[in-house]
Amino acid sequence: MEIVSVKPLLALLISAAASVLILFSGKRPNLREFWTVTAALVKTALVLSLYPWIRSGHTVVWKLGEIFPDTGMFLRVDALGFTFAAVASALWILTSVYSIGYMRSLKEKDQTRYFFSFALSLSATLGIAFAGDLLTFFIFFEILAVVTYPLVTHKQTDEAIKAGRKYLVYSLSAGGLLLLAILWTYHATGNLNFTPGGFLSGLKDSRMIFIIFFLFIYGCGVKAALFPLHAWLPSAMVAPTPVSALLHAVAVVKAGVFGILRITGFVFGPSVLKETGLGDALGMIAGFTILGASFMALAQENLKRRLAYSTISQLSYIILGSALASQTAYTGAVLHLGNHAMMKIALFFAAGAIYCRTHCENISDLKGLGYRMPFTFTAFTIGAVGLSGFPLFSGFISKWMLCMGAIDSHHGAALAIYLSSALLNLLYLLPIVIIGFSRSAKHEAVEEKPWTLWVPPIIAAAAVLAFGSVPAWIQIQKGLADLAAASVFMGGMP
Amino acid sequence: MVRQLPVLLFLSAFTPVFLIPFVLRWKRAPYLLSCAGLLLSACFSVYALVLISHGHTQHYYFGGWAAPYGIEWRLDGLSALIATLVSTVSFFVILGTSGFVQKEMRKGTVPYYMIAMLHITSLLGIVMTADLFNLFVFIEVASLTGYALIAAGGSKNGLMASYRYVILGTIGASFYLLGVGYLYAASGTLNMADMTRILTSIPPSKTVMMGLLLILLGLCIKMGLFPFHSWLPNAYTFAPDGASALIAPLSTKVMIYAFIRIFGWIIQAPVLTDYPVISSLRLLAIAAILAGSVLAFKQDRLKKMLAYSSVSQIGLMMLAFSFQNPVALTGVLLHMICHSVSKAGLFVIAATAHHRLGAETLEQFEGFAKRMPAEAFFFCMAGLSLIGIPPFGGFFSKWYMVSGALESRHFVSAAIVIFSGLLTALYIFRFLEKMFFAGGKTTPSGPREVTDFPFLISALSALGLLALGITAPLLFRWSLNHVLIN
Repeated sequence: MEIVSVKPLLALLISAAASVLILFSGKRPNLREFWTVTAALVKTALVLSLYPWIRSGHTVVWKLGEIFPDTGMFLRVDALGFTFAAVASALWILTSVYSIGYMRSLKEKDQTRYFFSFALSLSATLGIAFAGDLLTFFIFFEILAVVTYPLVTHKQTDEAIKAGRKYLVYSLSAGGLLLLAILWTYHATGNLNFTPGGFLSGLKDSRMIFIIFFLFIYGCGVKAALFPLHAWLPSAMVAPTPVSALLHAVAVVKAGVFGILRITGFVFGPSVLKETGLGDALGMIAGFTILGASFMALAQENLKRRLAYSTISQLSYIILGSALASQTAYTGAVLHLGNHAMMKIALFFAAGAIYCRTHCENISDLKGLGYRMPFTFTAFTIGAVGLSGFPLFSGFISKWMLCMGAIDSHHGAALAIYLSSALLNLLYLLPIVIIGFSRSAKHEAVEEKPWTLWVPPIIAAAAVLAFGSVPAWIQIQKGLADLAAASVFMGGMP
Repeated sequence: MVRQLPVLLFLSAFTPVFLIPFVLRWKRAPYLLSCAGLLLSACFSVYALVLISHGHTQHYYFGGWAAPYGIEWRLDGLSALIATLVSTVSFFVILGTSGFVQKEMRKGTVPYYMIAMLHITSLLGIVMTADLFNLFVFIEVASLTGYALIAAGGSKNGLMASYRYVILGTIGASFYLLGVGYLYAASGTLNMADMTRILTSIPPSKTVMMGLLLILLGLCIKMGLFPFHSWLPNAYTFAPDGASALIAPLSTKVMIYAFIRIFGWIIQAPVLTDYPVISSLRLLAIAAILAGSVLAFKQDRLKKMLAYSSVSQIGLMMLAFSFQNPVALTGVLLHMICHSVSKAGLFVIAATAHHRLGAETLEQFEGFAKRMPAEAFFFCMAGLSLIGIPPFGGFFSKWYMVSGALESRHFVSAAIVIFSGLLTALYIFRFLEKMFFAGGKTTPSGPREVTDFPFLISALSALGLLALGITAPLLFRWSLNHVLIN
């Protein structure tokens, strides 16, 4: 059933409103940060207040306007969108607290611009999560690309400016192709609304479907860092760490992945993917990305770049899951969307805290830091182990579902990729932990403070454990993923 | 009163031209009179829009002579929309640029305001007339006053730019007049509605073809379509700051209006298929988009960059017009509005930067965001609309233009419309990057004046673009119901 409510719109707008307040309180940092934190809390509360409706299988709708006669723009919250929105807004609370500690410890310049763009990008992310049709989705997708540009370029060094250019060229060209794909879809079907199970099955022109599909995949694939469109992500690591943590591990890249989940599940639909073989084609690209990026991660000496390649690889887990056209794999993909966010944000938070205290960016310099910064390294360890898919950590559940999905759909290769990549995860993440906890007198003077830098990673790590071992929490998360997958594969009935 | 609406709209902007010489004693009078007149005509044009929403098209017959014999003026959906655009944008620009005008016109502002008002009035005349020869007259008045405005600063470059415009503009107007002559020979009428009726009834002929081609050529020169654009960049760049903020957003847009009126309304689709003039336009338009963008990217002067950007955007509008369907046409109208509003804002910001910081070239804009944060922010918003980033108006015009291209199955052109957005991004972000991220001077500029009108205008332009974006779907429906009725 559809419930009409303005709550999704409010949740979306609250951080945009906060961004205006932030802009005008630039001279009073404490007030400015107060707006950020308040907006994050209110936003999360608003999103979570939708949960009872979503859980009982309803969707929440708010109409925005009509773009063509009979074609509207909607916000429509379903289980998939809710999952993404809840993850993004809850992690924004952690990131705001962490940002305050990080930016102030490093005495970064232009903090007003930073918090302003950050709040706007959260609005855009929620818009993407709640978009009920392709146009609304596109509008927020483009806004996200533009408002995150100042964050990438934040340091204003030549390197940062170059990374910003790269980011813009990649994401604006992707936006252009996405726009073409969307309008083409409209002219072929007269429809723009996301429909569980897809609405392109009526199209007979297979060449057109093929072109539209790859326009879509290019459009979303840039943000999802799909090979060969991934090159902007490692360069964008020049941004301040909270940006890498929330945007380049959660919001922006997940927006791309979320777009691919929407497109495979709600525009094309599993049956079309299967019949045309497009699912297999996408799966092959994703599989290659998983392995390639894992090997690339092994070769990185810079901590943040290693995490960036790890992100690229993990994102393609989700893409591969959605390409398999199996309900279990889709469930796993939705689960991994949230789980990877928690684990990766813990890892990035830890990396940022280390940089703040020691200005070390290279892995070999971390010797002995585990004893000086115990909380930070504990969080890092939990994130690393979880990412490799150990039981009792949240990563295990999603990877298990993804593997089951690969078996379900008789894709042995996909299974092999998932399993071997889990091993590679271990190979590139565990050495960091081991180096951190090896004895060395190098960092004797390092202290773990302020609290804003170590509490957020600990909370993220606690969430990783909770969503991996507390049955009630697992139930909540899996229930949502089941709902999302069921709507795609069984026409809305769980 | 309703019956005289077109004339009232015109006269309220025209009267100040005659009143200004009588109040020379009071220094601010020319400025205030112009503002009052434009405000009044803006109100009338909005009133016309309201009437048209209720289905009342306004006709006015001069001297009471009925249509084919006398001169008719008409306010239908299309002309009321553009008349509103012209009167509102010019009101705000005149309101906001008085400081620049006072600084630049060393010999007094009286002639400037008289000429500027005459220019705006003739633009309104172009928009409202329903007579092809009358249209020519107003094009000539607009051009002559335009030459004067460009040269008004008295700089050598300005004079040279104006001279070039005189030569090319005269050639363009002559072509147009010649074309009208051919059409008159074939149809025996100059009234637009009458011309439509007669042209649909007579068989295709070489005379009409020739007439259409000449008109096309003439208008392309006047609107600055590549490769006839060479007068435009220097004219915009070297005109006094106040004048370029007035000319750049409006005059080419009005020429595009004249083009749309002739090739979309007077020559209706079934007749147009007999004369393959529009498809020949498409290649020119594509060339204009590409060349304009590349040249804009190579400019170091802000105003020149904006001028070449106009060349490219004019190409974009002509390309979309060539698809000949309602959705694309609505996209063109929306783009005319958005482009006009954003160019007004951008030129006012350029003028502000020039007068307060002496900044004209890319290098001088280093650290602009530190020195004038608000202006830099509005520049960013107007620029994003130009690129076509949602939620600004420019995105929705692009959306409808691409949609129209796909509706007529022009896949390559659709891709080019999108590609032009990317090219625009290149030259806009080149400046944005310098303004916001390049290090350099961080001394803030001096304190604002108490009533800082340029600031207000750039803010209004940025917020207007946001409002246009939010209301774009409504405008689309309005245009389907009230502009594209025939």
